[in-house]
Amino acid sequence: MTLIAILALPLLAALLSSIRPLRLYASAITIVSTSACLALAVYVSAQVIEHSRVVALPGWFEADGLSALMLVLVSFVLALASVFAHGYMQHGHEAGRLWWFYGNYNLLAFALLAVPSLAEPNLVWVAVELITLFSVLLVGFDNTSNALEAAWKFAVLTIMGAPIALLGFFLLFWTYRSTTGGAWETWEGLRMAAASMDPSLLKLSFLLVFVGFGAKSGLAPMHTWLPDAHSQAPTPVCAVLSGVKTTVPLYVVLRFLSVVLASPAARVGNWMIVLGLVSVGIAAFLLIQVRDYKRMFAFSTVEHMGIILTAAGMATQAADFGAVSQILNHAITKSLCFYVAGAMLLILSTREIASVRGLFRVSPFSGGALLLSSLAIAGAPPFPIFLSELSILSAGVQAGHKVVVAVLGVLIVIAFVAILSHVNRMVMGKPAAHVSTGVLPASCRFTVWAAAVPVVLLGVYVPAPIHNLLQLAAQQLGGR
Amino acid sequence: MIEAIGYNLLQVLFVLLFAPLYAGVLVRLKEMVQSKRGPSVVQPYRDIWKLFHKDQIVSDQTTWIFRVTPYLVFVMPIFVTILIPVLTDYPLVFAFMGDMLAGGFFLGLAGFFAALAAVDTGNPYGPMGASRTRMVGFLAEPVFMIVFFTVSFVSQSTIPYIVQQKWVANAAAFFSPAHVLLLIAFLMLILAEGGRIPVDNPSGHFELAMIDESKGLEFSGRGAALMKWGGEMKFLVLTCIFLNVLVAPWGLAHGHAVTNVLTAVPQILFKILLFSLVLVVIETSLAKLRLFRISEFLGAAFIISVAAMVTSIFPGG
Amino acid sequence: MSTSIPDALNTLSAGLILISAFAMVATRQVQGVLRFFVAQSVLLAASSFLLAYSRASVHLWALGAITIVAKVLAIPWVLRRLLPAEFYERREIAQAVNIPTSLLLALVLTIVAEFLMGPIVATTHDPVIRVNLPIGLAGILIGAYSLVARREAIPQLIGILAMENGAFFAGVAIAPELPIIAELAVAMDVVLIAVVVGLLTRNIRETVGTTEAAGLDELKEEATA
Repeated sequence: MTLIAILALPLLAALLSSIRPLRLYASAITIVSTSACLALAVYVSAQVIEHSRVVALPGWFEADGLSALMLVLVSFVLALASVFAHGYMQHGHEAGRLWWFYGNYNLLAFALLAVPSLAEPNLVWVAVELITLFSVLLVGFDNTSNALEAAWKFAVLTIMGAPIALLGFFLLFWTYRSTTGGAWETWEGLRMAAASMDPSLLKLSFLLVFVGFGAKSGLAPMHTWLPDAHSQAPTPVCAVLSGVKTTVPLYVVLRFLSVVLASPAARVGNWMIVLGLVSVGIAAFLLIQVRDYKRMFAFSTVEHMGIILTAAGMATQAADFGAVSQILNHAITKSLCFYVAGAMLLILSTREIASVRGLFRVSPFSGGALLLSSLAIAGAPPFPIFLSELSILSAGVQAGHKVVVAVLGVLIVIAFVAILSHVNRMVMGKPAAHVSTGVLPASCRFTVWAAAVPVVLLGVYVPAPIHNLLQLAAQQLGGR
Repeated sequence: MIEAIGYNLLQVLFVLLFAPLYAGVLVRLKEMVQSKRGPSVVQPYRDIWKLFHKDQIVSDQTTWIFRVTPYLVFVMPIFVTILIPVLTDYPLVFAFMGDMLAGGFFLGLAGFFAALAAVDTGNPYGPMGASRTRMVGFLAEPVFMIVFFTVSFVSQSTIPYIVQQKWVANAAAFFSPAHVLLLIAFLMLILAEGGRIPVDNPSGHFELAMIDESKGLEFSGRGAALMKWGGEMKFLVLTCIFLNVLVAPWGLAHGHAVTNVLTAVPQILFKILLFSLVLVVIETSLAKLRLFRISEFLGAAFIISVAAMVTSIFPGG
Repeated sequence: MSTSIPDALNTLSAGLILISAFAMVATRQVQGVLRFFVAQSVLLAASSFLLAYSRASVHLWALGAITIVAKVLAIPWVLRRLLPAEFYERREIAQAVNIPTSLLLALVLTIVAEFLMGPIVATTHDPVIRVNLPIGLAGILIGAYSLVARREAIPQLIGILAMENGAFFAGVAIAPELPIIAELAVAMDVVLIAVVVGLLTRNIRETVGTTEAAGLDELKEEATA
């Protein structure tokens, strides 16, 4: 029942925040509902750790380790982003339009939470589609010509993937039905039946879903919408988009990949490694010449998606563990990065890297936060991303992918250097004489602090429940 | 044998007699749709009759080509007639003398001489029309080829009679995407070759905008009558190929008795009437394309015909 | 391979669906593109009714009805409500690729679709699947192409919706037993696409003053900026 409650809450919040007398309290309603979702998601994961599986409605709503992990991450990012939005959205936005923002935000929350809790793949497709549609309007919320352009590119590129993926799901359904003689389709059932399904059909349907949803999760070469959308959307939305909106479609791809990997005749792992490396490479080199700090974090998202895909393509247990930890660490760190970026935007009201100088002196708080978050996202020790990237690289060596590890290592280092040289320029040095500094609302300050806590902690110490959850999640990826 | 030759002659007679009627019906229907009265359906007969009774004037600047052309234009559709199923659905004597490509060749020869004759006169409008007709012809040629290839691929034959039997025998083939695409491509081709809207306006009187008509401006008397009659027969022959071979191979005589063949005549006429209704709808709902858009029109026909070929080659079709 | 009449008629609508996909590529007027899309949706619904009849499938009856409601009625209505008539009277002069080339490319995409589906179609003896699968994929690819080649917002949107039609045309053949709730959700999703993109288009027109997507090119990769 908890699972259904998690889905019902955002819908209820969306309804409440669009009722006229309650519109003024839309942000409070959103904060309450997303925090409640977070609490429920933690409860679900506790259950999953205990029973390894939670079933709310058999065949419809089920959660295993991977779903529980995604639920926790999504609701965590959503909750903090809604707190951040409370302060952030009051600046430069008409109060009368805010309910529209929050209504959309809650619908997006519903769609994001629905993907991991649904067990029926065709419904998962619908949920992924809803994510895209609800985030399109959020990206264009500012109604400037740049924001609308970003929203348009985002809409066209990502909605275009949907019918392609849909055909993939139809093909999957067809082969599953004809193999099992008409059984109800679930992720679990698919994995069981994969070995006896027609491998060429399985591969083709995976290819279609990969093309369709790869575009949605920002994998190169379908990543072009991502930096635009992430630089133009209101910052709380960026945090959600970059932190979890990209990993949720990737979650579906990984689920599907585990089905394909369960069929011995369909070999796709190496292709995933290559495509993952392409994403990492393109992102790493684009990071060097980036001029806008929000776009910088956006490209780093492309890089991380590539790393996760590469790890999943290796298809060993150790690499899978690395992949799910990377999903976790990416979500918490990247959302922190965007909170910091939002805070900087409020203070400096510019997005250009070149015009930011000596942030430390202008605002020690945001300067410190930027340094911390950039170190964390680039993968410096002792932050969690360093650990998960290290575990992916070592898993690669164990699996015998020496060239892959070497290339991946070099690219990660390039990205690292690129990010830190930009950040170094922004944080250090003397500020320009006339910097107009804005005020940072308390809720934004709070969010940055709150988001920084897990980023710092998880690098030093991973509590046993989280470790268990990660292991359960890694098992679902089907590595051997 | 004698009987078969007789039926063949009957087919020729059918085409000779009803070609002007077909043209008249088309004009009349079109005028009616446009809320006008229009000329009587027998007007084309009267025109031909009148032209035969007028003197023929031939410029002394022209060569033998100009004198030969009307006869060629008149005779070639008749040659094609003996190759294709007009009234019977079984092959007649001359059916195996030539296939669909031969039919295309005959019509092409007539068109070639008509173009030469237009150039021959030295009238400025003639060469213009000739060059435009050639342009349409060049663009239509590939479509013709692809349609023939596809048809012969599906039916393993290029003889019209055999092709036609393939469609009747097999409902699956009749409704297959390849067939539907083929029909549309061929219909577009007929519109282009027959000089109908949207490619050419058969009732236009403005020489600069003419494509087909301007080639015949210099002919008079018997020559003009033959050109006119030949053109009408060509269009009827194309329609017969379209209707009897590709679209609706029903209503053709199946039995060998004379009555069977004679009862086929009204049925075929009825089919042609239905088709002319379709044609009138197309002609009145579209506007004539600008000259440079014709390449797009025929390009589209080409694409569709190739799509037909593709869907027929692959297992899905 | 004996074919029943409904199945034969289904292949007929397969051919017409392919034609309407070509027509959407070849049409210049925005209004015309919308009309061909509606025609294609009607054909899709007809196809699913025919298969519903021949296979006695409740799901396909439902799917056909949903298609009529969502794509034939709701989407044109939504688009007309959201956007002024001026949008539909527009003629698209500036296309990225001229129309004959576009048609040739659409043809190439059809061939690609047949090639991709060839080995898969060869594994089945169901004549409906053999027809619908390649043509559905061709519909998807041609829709994707018109999305790339078109410069106006509404034809781009209709390109997306035509892709959905293609996916569904394959779907009625291979996945007729899809849960009804999923079918409903997918149909709702299609209408939502129209609403969201329509809203976006309206905002763009109000802010930027044009609906030529080509005008939207301020945001670029850093390399070219």
